Amino acid sequence: MDTELIQQIRDKARSLLAEGTVEGVIGYERASDGISSRPLFAYDSSATERLIFDETCAHNLVKYLLNKKSRKMAVVVKPCDSRAINLLLNEGQIERDKIFVIGVGCPGMVETNWNYKSETLQAKCRSCQLSKPLVYDFLAGGEFERQAEEETYSDITEAEAESLANRREFWLEQFGRCIRCYACRQVCPGCYCPVCFAERLEPLWVGIRITPEENELWQTIRSFHLAGRCIGCNECERVCPVDIPLSLLNRKLEKDVKELFAFQAGLDPEEQPPFATFKKEEKLEFGE
Amino acid sequence: MSVEYQPKVIGFLCNWCSYAGADVAGTSRMDYPHNIRIIRVPCSGRVDPLFVLKCFQRGADGVLVSGCHPGDCHYTEGNYHARRRFALLREFLDYLGIAKERLRLEWVSASEGQRFAELVSDFTAELNKLGPRSKI
Repeated sequence: MDTELIQQIRDKARSLLAEGTVEGVIGYERASDGISSRPLFAYDSSATERLIFDETCAHNLVKYLLNKKSRKMAVVVKPCDSRAINLLLNEGQIERDKIFVIGVGCPGMVETNWNYKSETLQAKCRSCQLSKPLVYDFLAGGEFERQAEEETYSDITEAEAESLANRREFWLEQFGRCIRCYACRQVCPGCYCPVCFAERLEPLWVGIRITPEENELWQTIRSFHLAGRCIGCNECERVCPVDIPLSLLNRKLEKDVKELFAFQAGLDPEEQPPFATFKKEEKLEFGE
Repeated sequence: MSVEYQPKVIGFLCNWCSYAGADVAGTSRMDYPHNIRIIRVPCSGRVDPLFVLKCFQRGADGVLVSGCHPGDCHYTEGNYHARRRFALLREFLDYLGIAKERLRLEWVSASEGQRFAELVSDFTAELNKLGPRSKI
């Protein structure tokens, strides 16, 4: 645990609250198992003493800004999570002057569970190339040197190389396990529709029965709604109780959007997302 | 008794061009496979990927989305948006194990009855070759 980094976060949080710059600070604290961490909402200076940051702080706290739109909040943001801020700014969901971003250099996150943390980094961290947040008002801990260890899309190209029948079988098995708890949606910073299509009753798009067919519809459209919007924090996969490899869906779309439209979400809050625009003369090998 | 396989095709046709094109094919008594079930939509840009998924989920063998030629959209740009959307969806469906040939995006103008008839024949033949979708 980097005590200097933590002290910087605590000091900044305390002064922000004392000066009245923000009403609250969203950060991490140690969970009651003493190993993993959990989100902390600090509204007074005594609570800031509980703030921590280490390799167990995997949560993407940007999601919580969506519930705090009326209040000015500070939020602790890792490099990958900072793309979510850009996404929400781009989509007009948050206002830049209503948030204070405490950026942290990130050593990479490990897998955690109750009373457990792994030795190895999460897959998304092994291929991460961001040394510091893309957007911040204060940077704690400075930059980290990142050396990506593997090619980002190697598992996707592997899955693409399988035969059509194998792919079908693989995904139906995965979707068959889905219990449609919607944890993937609840944790996603990009999923904020007031009424989700999965909860529409008229028309009933996703049937109430928990069957592979209905789950497939849910998972396919969920990831497609995030096409060109998913910022790759991989929270959906982390919280999935039945371990569906959702990053294989999200990153496939990310890869295709990159190839077709040369766009990656969350890098620039001003750039138009691919489905908000078009080029008349573009060749997409479809609808020629 | 064995029943010969007949692919089910759902066609989303835009009100201004393709639906009128299909109408021309009909009124000129052109012969084309009756496997297609046509749903009229205001614009190809109205077709949500959700509609396509729902068709496949409910047992469609192929989905045709058809609108005005680029530049001719009644709403100026609906078909350009549709083109982007379905170019991506097609790859994604293929990745999930639904062959990309089963989704088509075509441009048919109000006068192209002949083209519409040929298109449906061609698509149905291709789906026949692919055979039924493996059931879940």
